[in-house]
Amino acid sequence: MAKWAGARVLVLLCTLFLLPACAQSMPADPEGTLERVTGGTLRVGASDNGDWVSVDPTREPEGSEAELLREFAGRLGASIEWTTGSEQVLAEELKHGELDVVIGGLDDKTPWEKHAGLTLPYTESKDERGETHKHVMLVRKGENAFLLELDRFLAEAEQSP
Amino acid sequence: MKRSQQEQIRNAVKFGHTELPDEQQGALRKAIKIEWITIAFLTASTLLVYLVLGNSQAMKAAWVEDMLSLLPPISFLIAARAIRKQPSEEHPYGFHRAVGVAHVVAAVALTVMGAYLIVDSAIVLVTVEHPTIGGFDFFGQTIWLGWVMIGAMVLTALPPVYLGRVKLKLAEQLHDKVLYADADMNKADWMTALAAAVGVAGIGIGWWWADAVAALGISASILHDGVRNTKASVSALMDRRARTYDDTAPHPVAKRLDEYLKGLDWATDARSRIRDEGHVFHVESFIVPVEGRMPSLDQLERARLACVELDWKIQDMVLVPVSALPPELLPGVPAPGGERA
Repeated sequence: MAKWAGARVLVLLCTLFLLPACAQSMPADPEGTLERVTGGTLRVGASDNGDWVSVDPTREPEGSEAELLREFAGRLGASIEWTTGSEQVLAEELKHGELDVVIGGLDDKTPWEKHAGLTLPYTESKDERGETHKHVMLVRKGENAFLLELDRFLAEAEQSP
Repeated sequence: MKRSQQEQIRNAVKFGHTELPDEQQGALRKAIKIEWITIAFLTASTLLVYLVLGNSQAMKAAWVEDMLSLLPPISFLIAARAIRKQPSEEHPYGFHRAVGVAHVVAAVALTVMGAYLIVDSAIVLVTVEHPTIGGFDFFGQTIWLGWVMIGAMVLTALPPVYLGRVKLKLAEQLHDKVLYADADMNKADWMTALAAAVGVAGIGIGWWWADAVAALGISASILHDGVRNTKASVSALMDRRARTYDDTAPHPVAKRLDEYLKGLDWATDARSRIRDEGHVFHVESFIVPVEGRMPSLDQLERARLACVELDWKIQDMVLVPVSALPPELLPGVPAPGGERA
């Protein structure tokens, strides 16, 4: 028991001093995505999917999610670098940090959850079978400051369409 | 007067045919009440933590520990019911072992889950899995889910410590090892909660590994609890000699018993072996009468009753007059030649 007493006090002290000191900058990105994107480049992967994302090789991607990200990038003072492809290819690139965010009309049941972090569901839709889908975007795993920023933006955007 | 006496008899709590003294009856009632409170608290806290679990490995470990902490209170309550049954022809020793069985079940569950969580957390660490914790919709405000997690952990950290302290005292009064194991786990619960909170805070400042490391710590403590309790409960079921409620020393009643029997004017030597059946002890005492003269039935009966008076845990007791203490039944007793067997 005595062996642990020192360790306990240490942990307690660390918490007490650490928490307030870091509260301002919490959460942070292990890979610094938000910092890099702000005033820089937002690398977006877009996968063609109905009204959400429509990809035309001759133009920049369009659709509601593409528009949302344009607004988000504008707010961060960032320009967008588009990459188009299948969900699989984009999810793989996101996993390896070659993209910052992936859109494609995905919902919260997406199988790419293993490779990526999900935003909060920002809107819902019903398909022809009457099932409800909660729509999300994918971000790189663990980039929590960037994710929170996007979550906040999407929540606001939904409230004032 | 007569009515209250009758009521007292009806309400008297028994462990098998052992009638509990007032102090123990009170302790048992209190223990049952506090175990129900524990179950209510743990159910609420398990639910709360589940709602904010997110992707934190440490939170997952803390959540599993919360759920496992339900096992000892449940087994205590079941055992507390089973042991009240009177011994029967089929179960001549009564149902006291229910406590031991409950103890093993709870301990094995702890061990298995502890081992599983260690592997699970190590995989997260080795595969460099960055835990993702994003926003949380807090009444229209999007706040960081990590804060909610830390809040939930802080909220659930302290009540078990109080419950544990109360139960520790009751475990001693009742000589109940399941209650002791339960209390011991509760007492350390705040460390689990704190470790999980620190892990989440670690994620917050960008240390993705902090969460997995905290989870490893929590899992290790679950495994440690499990192994310790498995050892203690299995050796109790293997009829290890009776020890104190916290297993730190042989139970002092053994010495008192032997000293009393040796002090009888018709006895020259005596030695007992004692099994811990759960709450109560089963005792076999061997007595060597003076000059090999067989004691009268009356003498034997009075000696037995006096022993039963020594401690409420002693009720089921047999006295065996022998010409010399049998070393094969009492390991550690010198063989008849004077040499140690």
